[in-house]
Order: sequence, then structure tokens, then C-alpha cells
Amino acid sequence: MTGAGRVLSSFAALVYVMILAPIVVVVMLAFSADNFILFPPSGYSLRWFNQLASNGPLLTALWLSVRIAAVVTLLSLVVGVPAALALAKGQFPGKAALTGFFLAPLLLPTLITGLALLLFFSPLKLTATLPGLVLGHMTVTVPFVIRMMATALANLPDDIEAAAATLGATPWRVVRRVTLPLATPGLIACACLSFLLSFDETVISLFIAGPRASTLPVEMVRYVEGRTDPLIAALSVVLIVATLAVVLVVERLVGVARAVGK
Amino acid sequence: MSYLELAGLQKRYGNAVAVDDVSLSVEQGESVALLGPSGCGKTTTLRMLAGLIEPNRGTMTLDGSEITRLPAHKRNMGYVFQSYALFPHLSVGRNIAFGLEERGASRSEIEKRVQEGLALVRLGGLEQRRPKELSGGQQQRVALARALVIQPSVLLLDESLSNLDAKLRDAMRHEIRSIQRTLGITTLFVTHDQVEALTMCDRIAVMHRGRIAQIGSAEDIYDRPATRFVAEFVGRANVLPLARDAQGRATVWEQLVPVEAAENADLFVRPQRMRIVPVSEPASGDAARLTGRVLRSVFVGDHVEVLVEGAGGQLTVEMPSGSAAPAEGSEVAIVWPRAESRVFVREAS
Repeated sequence: MTGAGRVLSSFAALVYVMILAPIVVVVMLAFSADNFILFPPSGYSLRWFNQLASNGPLLTALWLSVRIAAVVTLLSLVVGVPAALALAKGQFPGKAALTGFFLAPLLLPTLITGLALLLFFSPLKLTATLPGLVLGHMTVTVPFVIRMMATALANLPDDIEAAAATLGATPWRVVRRVTLPLATPGLIACACLSFLLSFDETVISLFIAGPRASTLPVEMVRYVEGRTDPLIAALSVVLIVATLAVVLVVERLVGVARAVGK
Repeated sequence: MSYLELAGLQKRYGNAVAVDDVSLSVEQGESVALLGPSGCGKTTTLRMLAGLIEPNRGTMTLDGSEITRLPAHKRNMGYVFQSYALFPHLSVGRNIAFGLEERGASRSEIEKRVQEGLALVRLGGLEQRRPKELSGGQQQRVALARALVIQPSVLLLDESLSNLDAKLRDAMRHEIRSIQRTLGITTLFVTHDQVEALTMCDRIAVMHRGRIAQIGSAEDIYDRPATRFVAEFVGRANVLPLARDAQGRATVWEQLVPVEAAENADLFVRPQRMRIVPVSEPASGDAARLTGRVLRSVFVGDHVEVLVEGAGGQLTVEMPSGSAAPAEGSEVAIVWPRAESRVFVREAS
């Protein structure tokens, strides 16, 4: 390894340590036997995981977040995939402007989106409701799905859809038999990332969640504001493991689909 | 009216004209090549025919009915793409079955026709494979079988052999030609490779800058090129700048040549049509003759290339291998039949 290579590797290692160190702290705290946050813990136990299993508000919020994320993912794909198809394959005036328009929400600070949604939803009585939270999360996930799927669709092998058309497939049959099957790895990845984006979404949720409907991130923020015990650390470890599991499943599925498809 | 008629086809992209006023008549069972350099509009023409690109102007008629505005999936054209465009998620068998399935053929009919298709391109037994498990040549044949089993009105081949290595290309050329003849299928073949065009097709349309420069048989195109572009693009040619002597007669290398004198023009002669003879041999009445000095002879396997230098330039003569090549540095005469001379004006560049 050259001198410059060694310096760069060391630098990369340092960056990784800085990113991962807080997570290591959280993991250690999760197994703490103490009554409050103390680092390093004076002893280790599973007591906070047991506490977590009997914490009603957090479990309710977790379940709500899972349901919201599932609905958001489904609706984002239903809305986003046809839009991506139109943007990637269609020829119509204003296409470039429309593409830019769909990118805009990704660039806007979610803080502003959250405030705007609060002002917009309040008179409609949508704040702190499931539909309200779903719509709020979709302002993040739909543009994301559109961007990601438009890219995936634009990168399909040359002429493969034209080939299907010359063989007698109507435009709709081309989408069903060729375009979508080939875009499946992208679709799976997109669905999983939408789920995680919604599950993780905090800022917008803080604006439009309420006591009646509070998502897990919101509930966690509230919890750490009032309490200083390692319960949230235990919850974090559960979430880290769950996320890793999803990522691994996606990696396997997409990897397999790629191997079969390309 | 011919089986397939293209009349005044034009395709513009903004201000750029990709295809300009292309008209072409193809008889049933005939095989026609669209030959030209990249960007000459040949693939655009083929795609318009398949319904993949909409022309700005002009009409297309197939078997008496107009198809100009018919969408691709209703045209029944077998298209073999340059990239093959096989469906990577389907097996070879399902790839070939695709068009039959879209036509709602029965299961037994599909099975029968897929087997026939596989046999036709000699890929029997490979129907369970995925396209990516096949070699380039095999993929090419799958693409061909897929296009043929739908019994297309016209078979369209787009640079279909250009991704294969030289040997395989040669084999596929003969295979496609014989399938085309056996089935009697009307074929349009886009290529930039003149050998492909000359060997695979009944007629050749040479395209240049979006227009058809010349249509004719291989011999027409090769021996009687209509334009300077055709003469330069198809085959090799010696390009000899013409000058005038004091009496206004045409000269090359300050020697008289039996063609009309012309301003700003070149004399074109195929290297194979020229012969090298001893300087002592007298000029015969109807032959053109130049003298020069042999620079070098190169043995190229099936022929010998002799490079000859004269007062104003160089030319190449192709001699059959086995004939005695003249010694380097020797003075020789080059003769060719008068009728093999073509004169083309230089293009203002």
C-alpha cells in the first residue's frame, strides 16, 4: 500500500469509528443494569428489554408506525410507479418541468413541509389521524419512489420493450410482461426503503402527530424528554436489529432477482 | 404495386433530418439491404417500418393496405435487434413463444411452433436455458427464431451480425440467407458492412445522409456506382485526380486517359479491374493505360496488392495471388478496360 493509500484508509477508518461510536454506546446502554443512563454501565442485564415488552404507549406507537409504514409503502408504489413509468417512457409536453416538480419535495426541508402540513391539515381535522400521518409521510416517500423507479426504468436494457411490441404485445402488455418483471429488483428495494423512510420519519410526524395518534419516533422523543433511563436504548437495539434484518432480506431478494433477471 | 412500398418517408428530430424522402419498393420474398455508414438513416428507416418511430411525412404500404399509422404491435413485423433484445427474465423457449402467446395461440400450437423455431436455427434442446447462458451467436439465433415463429409479413434485421466475431458472422450470413430463401420471407436488412449487403441480399439500397443514393443489384452498385459516395463507400477504389493537357484533354499523372475532361473531378477505378503489364507491351486501342514505378508488393493471402507510384500520386492494383508480382522499383504499365473508368466531381467541402 502506498503512503497516500495508508493515509486515506486511516482517515476512512476514523470516519467509520466516529459514525459507529454512538451506536456502540447505545448498544452497551441497552444491556445496562442501572436505573438511569450511566456510561459505562456498572452492570449488565436484560431488564430494560423486559421493561420494553410491558411499556404500553411505546408498543402502541410501534404498532401504529408499522401500520402507517405499510400503508404508506403500498400507496407510494401505487401512485409512484405509474408516475415513474409515465416520466421514463412517455413523451409529452412539460415532462422536464414535471420531473423537476417531483424532485422538489426531496430538496425542501421537512421542517417546512411539516409546518405546511400542520396548517393545511388543521382545518381539515386530519392532524393526529392515521390518514393525516399517511399523507404526511407520502410527501417524502412518493417523490422518492418516483425518482428511484424512473431511474430503474430508464436503465432497462435497450430495445427490450420495443422487441415485445414488435412481437405483438400491446403497450399495457409490454409493461406487465416485460417492464415490471425487469424492474422487480428496483421495486423491492424501493418498497423497503419507503417503509424505512416512513417508519423513521420524525420531523413531519412531530408536527402532525398528537396524543391520539403518535408514531414511534415521536413517542421516543417524548420519552427521552421526560425520562433518563436506558429503555430507549433497548428499543433502539431492537430497531437496529429489525432494520438490519430488512436490509439483509432486500439484499438477498434483489441479489437473487438480479441473478435471475440479468 | 409492390408487396412493400415506402413512399417519401421523412423523419426529423428538431432541425436535424434523419431520413429524407426515402422511397423503396420491395417484392414479396425479396431481400433488400439498406447499406450505409452510421448516421445515414438506415436504422431509423427500419424502425419506422416496424412502427417504433413515427415518420413526419410519407407513407408505408404493405400488401396493398396502408400501415403508416398502425402501432408496432399490429404490424406483424419480425424485428431482430442489434442488441438482440432477448427477455432476460424468460427462458429461451418462452422468449420464442412470446409473440405466439401475445397472439393467443393454443398451448399445443405454441409448443409445436417453438420446437420448429428451435430446429430452424439449430438450437434444439436449449429451450430451458436463460439467454445469458448462451453465447452471442446462440442469442442471435434465439432472436431470429423469436422473430420468425410469428410468421411475420416482413423480417427486419438491424445490424444483426455486427456483434459476432468474423467466423461466426460468416456462418450466420449463410444460415440467415438460406432460411430467408427457404421460407421465402420478405427481408429488409440494415448493415454498414458491404460484404454482408453484397452476399445476403437480392438488391442493395445505399443510403447517405438520410437519402437513398442508389438502389440496384450487387453488380450494379459495385461496377456502376451512381454517385461518388457509392463509389467510395462500397468496395475499394483508386481515386486519381484529373487534370487537362494543353489541348484540353483529360490526364492523370500527366498521361492521357480516355475519359471526358472535367473540372475538379477524379477518376475512379477498382483495383481488381487493373492489370500490370510490362512497359514494353504496346497500348491497345480500347484500354486505358498509365505508367509508373512499383513501390512495393504486399501478399494478403487471396491476392497481392501492388502499390504503384506515378508523377502525381499512387494507386493500388490487386493481382490474383500466384501471379508473378513485379519487382519493387521496376517501371510498369497499368491497364484497365475503358468501361471501368468512372468520373465523379469532387464535393465542395
